Amino acid sequence: MPTGNTRTRPKPFVMPQFCKACGRCIDACPKDCISLGTQIESSTGFTPVVLDLEACNGCGLCFSACPEPFGLAPVPNEFETELFDPAKTFGPRQSTAIEPVAIPDERIPLPDLEPLVLKGNHAAAIGAILAGCRHFFGYPITPSTEGAELMAKLLPQIDGVFVQAVSEVATINMMYGCGGAGMPCMTFTSSPGFSLMVEGISYMIGAEVPGVIVDVMRGGPGLGNIAPEQADIKLLCRGLGHGNTHAPVLAPSTPQEMLEMALLAFELAFKYRHPVVIAGDGYLGQMTGRVTLPDSMVKPGMPEWAVWGDEMHRGNLISSIFLAEPDLEAHNIRLNEKYERMAAEEQRADLYQCEDADWLIVACNTPARMAKGAVQKLRQEGIKAGLFRPITLWPFPIDALASIIDNVEGLLVVEGSNGQLEDELRLAMSHAGIRHPRIENVRHFGGILPSLAEIVDKLTSLLEVAA
Amino acid sequence: MSNVFYEKFERHSHGEGLKGQSTHYCPGCGHGLIQKYLAESIAELEIQDRTIAVSPVGCSVFMYYYLDVGNTQAAHGRAPAVAIGHKVANPDSVLISYQGDGDLASIGIAEIVQAAQMGIPLTVIFVNNAIYGMTGGQMAPTTLMGQKSATTPTGRERLTGQPMKVAETMALLDGTVYVERVALYDNKLRMRTKKAIKKALQVQIDNRGVGFVEVLAECPTHLKMTPVETERWVKEAMEPIFPLGVKKDLDSDPWFHLEKPSFEPDRIIEVVGATSEETDRHCDGFPTHIDSHDIGLKLAGAGGDGAQTAAMLIAKAAVTEGFDSTHIPSYGPESRGGTSYADVHVANEEVLSPAAPRPHLLVAFNAPSLEKFGPTVQPGGTIVYDSSVIAEPPELDPSVTLVGVPCTEIARDLGAAKVKNVVALGALQAATQLFPRETFLTSVRQALRHNCAMIELNEEAFGWGARAFEEMAGAN
Repeated sequence: MPTGNTRTRPKPFVMPQFCKACGRCIDACPKDCISLGTQIESSTGFTPVVLDLEACNGCGLCFSACPEPFGLAPVPNEFETELFDPAKTFGPRQSTAIEPVAIPDERIPLPDLEPLVLKGNHAAAIGAILAGCRHFFGYPITPSTEGAELMAKLLPQIDGVFVQAVSEVATINMMYGCGGAGMPCMTFTSSPGFSLMVEGISYMIGAEVPGVIVDVMRGGPGLGNIAPEQADIKLLCRGLGHGNTHAPVLAPSTPQEMLEMALLAFELAFKYRHPVVIAGDGYLGQMTGRVTLPDSMVKPGMPEWAVWGDEMHRGNLISSIFLAEPDLEAHNIRLNEKYERMAAEEQRADLYQCEDADWLIVACNTPARMAKGAVQKLRQEGIKAGLFRPITLWPFPIDALASIIDNVEGLLVVEGSNGQLEDELRLAMSHAGIRHPRIENVRHFGGILPSLAEIVDKLTSLLEVAA
Repeated sequence: MSNVFYEKFERHSHGEGLKGQSTHYCPGCGHGLIQKYLAESIAELEIQDRTIAVSPVGCSVFMYYYLDVGNTQAAHGRAPAVAIGHKVANPDSVLISYQGDGDLASIGIAEIVQAAQMGIPLTVIFVNNAIYGMTGGQMAPTTLMGQKSATTPTGRERLTGQPMKVAETMALLDGTVYVERVALYDNKLRMRTKKAIKKALQVQIDNRGVGFVEVLAECPTHLKMTPVETERWVKEAMEPIFPLGVKKDLDSDPWFHLEKPSFEPDRIIEVVGATSEETDRHCDGFPTHIDSHDIGLKLAGAGGDGAQTAAMLIAKAAVTEGFDSTHIPSYGPESRGGTSYADVHVANEEVLSPAAPRPHLLVAFNAPSLEKFGPTVQPGGTIVYDSSVIAEPPELDPSVTLVGVPCTEIARDLGAAKVKNVVALGALQAATQLFPRETFLTSVRQALRHNCAMIELNEEAFGWGARAFEEMAGAN
């Protein structure tokens, strides 16, 4: 409420171009000083209010009835009618936010540590902690939950925060907030939960928010079961929500790699300001194995774009809205360039005995272990097989494949899904203009993974037929 | 009048022309007033640098055009979740979750209920104008009975629900400390709204909980009335259904406090259970008498038999000895009881197939497990079974060694039925010489390092299991 006597209380004035003629002030004025005008304001098409301030006692009620920030306002002390520049007329604003600067991450060396024996889910959680993640949001879902449980146990001991969200939808949006604040954060989920997250992932991509999502793939569709499948590959590589979305998808195949991929995922998430997915399978989440810890850990800094809630970052905005079509097209072009950079710089694959291979077995996650065993067995039998194991499912490591494909007779794609990995392979070869050799497959669904023997039998029988 | 609006709305169509200083709201819209009171309150409380405004989806989606604070724009309905993410990232930040009725009470009802129940300090501004504005005047959860909208063309009736009383609902939840419903249709109520917004910010600044303000706001455009008529409609039609007033005002203590996260390497190493201390090795080499490079084991029983723990002890023992090892658990859908199987591999170099469909060694804790997996054991393999539970083992490949040890009885005699898995491990070690006894015992001791009182009992159980096998072997 304005105070003081009538002589010092300022009276109102209005710039016609900022009045939308809603008339709230008319109702608010106890002295009936304000009325709707008759003159149409040419810049807006509205008919602004007119003030007859003879009876005005400067009560100020009209100011707080005006919904426009630059609408009815007190007449400044040295008001000049010529001075209709709002910036000057309405006085100085506190738009003094300083230019933000990035605080870089710190790498802290670790001593030599004995190997641990960890479940895949636990290994990824510990990898996240070593990557500097101190914020976890999640919703329980088998077979990923042990990751969340370990975070719930460990994070409070290192003054981190574990939040069990009300759903996967809430989870991904909490990550949007925390990642938007510039902090490394993560979640563990499994297939149905990942489906619920894709809208939020599209927002993260659109608003360029980093975050790491571990999807421990289980059997589907629908509720399916809790056994291992690889049938989210299509969703992860081709369906990360609406719009032109892609994100790096990392496919570990051992608990050791669950840890290593967690470290890599955070690095990529902040390098590109982008969400990153670690795609495991049910076995990998549950499987215990030997895990060697890295020789350093990360203390995260603070990116310059963060909406942190302090003076330096006050001018920042996390948003995926670009209302004007040219603005959104430009944003998409920028995102597409980012995808191209990822495709150029982040392809990763593990090649095992590929140099002289006639047949390449293509497999990722746990099936790649069986495939490696199959390669050893086939080699013992004199069959020149090799294992091509994509570590990044998106971007598909086509460059590594292109360099060896010419001498290959055929590709045997081994997977726990109905050709989702094979589709990625075919699409990548098609884009790269590679005339592909014969492609055969070993597939299982519903929680059964291809076995070593099946792979060996399949390739052996293919070669027998050929002979 | 001090406030924290930008001097020029650069984000509003690049601040071109009039858009640089005027909002996108329709004439008479309640949002403009509410954001004005927010801007004034932020200035008066001197929290401009700490504030993060979360813009929702709805007409206020562009709140970030106007408020000169940290800004985040959220997905439809998720502003409270986004705000929680921000708040736990920086507990000193002041979060405003600003939401309309469709955003908060329809698509985002789960998120607001969680936020209001958790009580992580936030300020929620809930704008109730009884209609969907941005999408063009469809029914909102707060649309009045009989009210016409684009999706209730003949008026809202029972089949399309009843107006939701959000402030009252929020007051029932445990995390809110202050809840008030206010309106904007006269001078007095506008003052009240400003005060309520300021107080809802103050309870957050005081780290006490969620401050929640529901504002009955005007949407002249979609109510198809003049702004002044809409003010009257809010008073005469809305207010009787949504009574104004303070719904909750707790005199509670501050509770929210988060320490700065730790990045002390020593602390991290300890917390993740790592150590630089080498464990003594006792193996001379890989147990090639069982397999040249990769040994498969299966441990099977009912939930609670300890098959998974025993499997884990074997895997840890193997890794301590420098081998590779994997363990995959498999359970029935029950949390307790039901089946519980563990597949373990121990490999000289690298485990390739972690499943064990044809194990070399089987430990069976009950008859169904032995019947199911006994025939899968490789020729020349060994089966340890609990003879207290399984009286008659089935006929199996004669090359497979069957070792019946009364694991349950021995464990009971030791006064702890749950150590029967360690009894079985003792028998397995003695029967197969998978690893030296000391390797297993080291594994047991390490697993119990935080529960030292149990070490002696477990060592004893292991010893009895080994002895039971030796006696049996001696008798044969």
